[in-house]
Amino acid sequence: MPTVTIHPTGEVIYLQPGQTVLSGLYQAGFAYTVGCRRGGCAICKVDCRAGDFTYCRPVADTVISDAEQADGTCLTCRAVPEGDITIELRGEDVRLVNRFLHQINDKARQRAEAHAAANSAAGTPEKEQSWES
Amino acid sequence: MGVMRLGYAHIRVTDLAEAKDHYANTMGLYETHAEGNKVYYKAWDEWDHHSVVLEEGGVGVVKYGWKVQHSTDLDDIEAKATAFGVTVDRMSKGDNPEIGDGIRFTTPSDHVFEVYHEATLVGTEVGVHNPDAFPRHLVGVGVPALDHSLITAEDPGQMDRFLSEVFGFYATERVQTSLDDDADIIATWMTSSNQIHQLAVLSGPQGKLHHFAFRLNDWNEVGRAADLFSMDDVPIDVGPTRHGITRGQTVYFFDPSGNRNEVFSGGYLAYPDRPTNVWTPEALGKGVFYHSRELNDAFTSVLT
Ligand code: FES
Ligand SMILES: [Fe+2]
Repeated sequence: MPTVTIHPTGEVIYLQPGQTVLSGLYQAGFAYTVGCRRGGCAICKVDCRAGDFTYCRPVADTVISDAEQADGTCLTCRAVPEGDITIELRGEDVRLVNRFLHQINDKARQRAEAHAAANSAAGTPEKEQSWES
Repeated sequence: MGVMRLGYAHIRVTDLAEAKDHYANTMGLYETHAEGNKVYYKAWDEWDHHSVVLEEGGVGVVKYGWKVQHSTDLDDIEAKATAFGVTVDRMSKGDNPEIGDGIRFTTPSDHVFEVYHEATLVGTEVGVHNPDAFPRHLVGVGVPALDHSLITAEDPGQMDRFLSEVFGFYATERVQTSLDDDADIIATWMTSSNQIHQLAVLSGPQGKLHHFAFRLNDWNEVGRAADLFSMDDVPIDVGPTRHGITRGQTVYFFDPSGNRNEVFSGGYLAYPDRPTNVWTPEALGKGVFYHSRELNDAFTSVLT
């Protein structure tokens, strides 16, 4: 159950396995500056401060340069966390624009955490949770 | 008549398979040719070999092709472009599959333009002999034709002059800083014909693509296109809505590589002697998006 922590406010958002950072944040009721949502316009870049992610599609080198591939730049509409990651936005804060979606995401995260704790107590390996609506 | 129309838009895509799915199955273009990392398409009501070229690797626009009516137009445009201070190269038949010889130059806005007179005639999907109104088995939106494009340039006023002097275009609408004679041009909508615009230029970085647009007939088709975008998980940028500028009805959306597309219908008939509509900054929101009357941040900042 990958989570995205937003520095410096410390918000924690639960993502479905395979979900992009952008998709996860919007689904959890947050908004920030985004554009094409398809990796082309470079507007949705943030800094990744901890954790790893991969890009789910090829990304144009005019969008993410070689240097940016290595300096923690994270193109959020294409970045899929490999585990828990921490990000920091550039020049703006995420805005909570939908409390209802945020509550749903919080519940999903708490349920997934409880499942993981119960499974590890029982000695069974953590299995991937699927999103339940 | 010189330039008749925007003949082709050659676009970069990051993933050819996804792009092909979008342009063929969502937009309904017909594949006419493929070679290497490129695929060529035409829309059903177009007769020339192709109007959209997809090239794998990157995003944004590679070049535009403009079709002229007479072969002598090529010499005329070459002379005028050279006089404007642009370096013009000759392009050979076959440089582009099924496109004749012509000229190629980089505009003051750093976009590559090719101008040509001949393209292989493929024919529309309904033919010319007792044609039906539309093909029975259109796919997806089933757009009939490529319509226009919007590009960005550091100096739209310079591009307004360039397109006027070199292509013989005229401005149907402009956004300018004020009504003063020496106002700066922020954006211009230009055409050579009765079509409301063939190319628009907006203030922004050099060499960038804002969008390229496909034609539709009316509001109903624009609404149906938006429905199909939801079915196919196409990110909608704005719309369905109307542009105050051109009066066209529109949906802005993104292809799978993040290039902005548009479906566009309507727009009043343009004439060179019709006085140019002028928009000033206080009404820019209404000019661009007639219903929300707000210029969203993405309109000026999201480019490929
Ligand atoms: S939103 Fe355009 S690149 Fe991410
Ligand atoms: Fe347009």
